[in-house]
Amino acid sequence: MTCIQQVHWELDMDYLGHPYYVSGNAIYHALGMQLEHDVHQHINASHGMFVPGQFGTFPEEHSQSGIRPYMGSSLPDVESYDDLFLFRHPDHPWLLDTRPRDGLNAHDIRFQSGMPALAHETIMGRPDDARKQQQTTRWYVNAYLHADDPDVLPLGEDVLDGLQFGGKRNYGYGTTTLKDTQVVDLEALDYSRLEDGEAFILELVTPFVLRSEYPKANNVDVPWWWSVDDEAQLRHRLEKVIEGGDVYELETVDHGVVVGYDGDRPVETAMSGLTRVGNHSKYGFGELRVKPVTPDETSVKKQIEKPKSEN
Amino acid sequence: MAENVTLSDFQGDGGQDVMVAAYRHDAHKLNGETHDYAPDIFHGVPVNQTVPHGADGDASALSRPNGKPEQTVDNHETHYRLSLLTGTSHYDPEEFSRPRLSEAINDLLTGSDPKAMHRAWITSDVASGFNESIYYPYTSLKYHTLLVATLLDNYRAGHEFADLLLVVDDAEEIVPHRTVYAGDRFALRIDESADGQPWARLGSRPWRSWASAWKRLTTHPLDVNHDKHDMVLDANLRRIWSWSTALQYIEDLETRRESR
Repeated sequence: MTCIQQVHWELDMDYLGHPYYVSGNAIYHALGMQLEHDVHQHINASHGMFVPGQFGTFPEEHSQSGIRPYMGSSLPDVESYDDLFLFRHPDHPWLLDTRPRDGLNAHDIRFQSGMPALAHETIMGRPDDARKQQQTTRWYVNAYLHADDPDVLPLGEDVLDGLQFGGKRNYGYGTTTLKDTQVVDLEALDYSRLEDGEAFILELVTPFVLRSEYPKANNVDVPWWWSVDDEAQLRHRLEKVIEGGDVYELETVDHGVVVGYDGDRPVETAMSGLTRVGNHSKYGFGELRVKPVTPDETSVKKQIEKPKSEN
Repeated sequence: MAENVTLSDFQGDGGQDVMVAAYRHDAHKLNGETHDYAPDIFHGVPVNQTVPHGADGDASALSRPNGKPEQTVDNHETHYRLSLLTGTSHYDPEEFSRPRLSEAINDLLTGSDPKAMHRAWITSDVASGFNESIYYPYTSLKYHTLLVATLLDNYRAGHEFADLLLVVDDAEEIVPHRTVYAGDRFALRIDESADGQPWARLGSRPWRSWASAWKRLTTHPLDVNHDKHDMVLDANLRRIWSWSTALQYIEDLETRRESR
């Protein structure tokens, strides 16, 4: 049995940290203040994705349907593989079109000592003469944990509540409250969309580490089961792992990059993509989503092919 | 691509340059008139005409949802754009003082050289002050118009939507009717060929795919390795679906960066 524990925190104060996500490293180290060393060392943490608490509707591939108020503020039931990704994509396809989805989903930026901080709430529609009509959207952080030793999970709510992320923590920045948590057995999920699929693409949910300055980390190649026209198409970005006062640079293939899938075990690949692949997977890097390419979506495959004029 | 409006229909209607007509097609939004009652002449030139090849409908689909529009922000129902950056209307009494506004609108609408009109729109700050629909107040009339022009120019050259790419150019590289954003650090173009520059496909059909295209670019034109402001900009560009909203957001943040 492979279990993950989903964790959903509410941001109580602005966040001055990594703007793409709360890194798995930050979550791992915050948990280290709460846990015994023996327990802590078995924990693996995903990156924490920012989620607005807003009205939403389940995407088509989701096991559930319908519109929910404040969908982003708690964890819906998980029955199928695709359910796990509801809050793992920055563009949040579940947000309703009847609301100003881009206005609600883009982070409100507040400058704190010249540094851009992500606001813990977004206030919109507030002209001077209509203060009562404002809409406030709270922000949440979605992450999950798994453990090398299955007896370690689930972590108790007392351990998960009140963690702090990002910079200026002495001033209260990045304070969170535990909002929701649940355990999901990965082997019990419905993978039929993958079992029935014929061709697949892989979406990098978090960066994949190729090279790391971290002591004793091995450099890795682009996996053989990624089908890539031309490696120059794989957008790279530097990331950092900070430990104590030391900063280690990581060269990664950036999140958001989409590649073809050349392997023949999509379900196994999907499960390993959840517990993550490659260097620093313990701290959130290398999370992948496997997506079937349906006949009416042949364009998805075309999207990652080179332009005609350059072949 | 909608085929119901053909080029010959259009040319029977006064014979003006098709590209010029694209830059004039939403004049009523700048002039505060409703579409149904908008005059078809402004300062002696034809305006508010239908754009051929369905380019207007396709550009709209890039920035707004399909179907019957509904008001999405309760207390905002004007063509003054709401800013994602500040949360407030872009309306500025000084910027939009009537004489200054009239002069700027003349520059945007009454030219007859299509390349000069492209330049006027791409460098206009007044056009940034308006949205493309009162129902979607974060969208931008400036970038909607530039998207209409680039789709029209590409369709006229025989390029199909599915073959179009978002291409990142150097700052000085402004391609007439194809460049949709021009800033001090980089430019963005929609074209069939990337010419060795970073690129991403727009997709098989026009839809609100900004985040999807941006996150697949082969290289981002921002310093996302070291610059915290660029990382924040990039993070938000991965969240926005509407093309005109996103292009306007880049302009707004880049303008603020220069003024700091």
